[in-house]
Amino acid sequence: MQADGVISHYAIGGAVGATFYLEPAATLDVDVFVLLTHEHGGLVSLSPIYEYLKARGGIEDREHIVLGDWPVQFLVPGSELEREAVAASIPVDLEGVMTWVMLPEHLVAIALCTGRGKDYIRVLQFIKEKAVDETMLRTILQKHGLLSKWEQFERKYLGEGI
Amino acid sequence: MSKGKEEMRTALARLSFSEKIRILEKLRDRDKAIAASGLRRTASGKKTKSHDE
Repeated sequence: MQADGVISHYAIGGAVGATFYLEPAATLDVDVFVLLTHEHGGLVSLSPIYEYLKARGGIEDREHIVLGDWPVQFLVPGSELEREAVAASIPVDLEGVMTWVMLPEHLVAIALCTGRGKDYIRVLQFIKEKAVDETMLRTILQKHGLLSKWEQFERKYLGEGI
Repeated sequence: MSKGKEEMRTALARLSFSEKIRILEKLRDRDKAIAASGLRRTASGKKTKSHDE
């Protein structure tokens, strides 16, 4: 899709992105954040992605496109944090195919922001496994106004902090 | 957490991304099978209906 100009960049986030750094945790779909090549007048449409993939065997299923056996949800970054996470993602070789995965610090910041129970569990896993650079995480959290939320999280779940 | 579990977690975390994705596929398929069987219980204690019902 990048080579054909449908999107300019993408990165895997969510549980599958986290799995790159942690032990595998069950998930039913893949979250792919995309930076679109064309955005008209502030309106964002994922139709070009859906049409492109449907023409190549993808099957539309509600908010997903099923590729192979995986339902994939394409998401347009809704915040500067998510845009930064896509831009800073790292290339990863997946069985000979180059793909992009968000940095662990961005995955933690996004999970903290999303704030569901399963997101907090993922944050705890990253901390417990020492899979994040603490300085970098704090820089990201500060930049995106998440430090107070982080401190609340620390008090509630980490006790003495990281 | 027992040392055995910690070691297992560390070993799983060290697998290649491809190997982890294969595990995720198995976990996903197992989850779908459980959901389809209708055996999963809700918080109210009722069994869930299978997707085919």
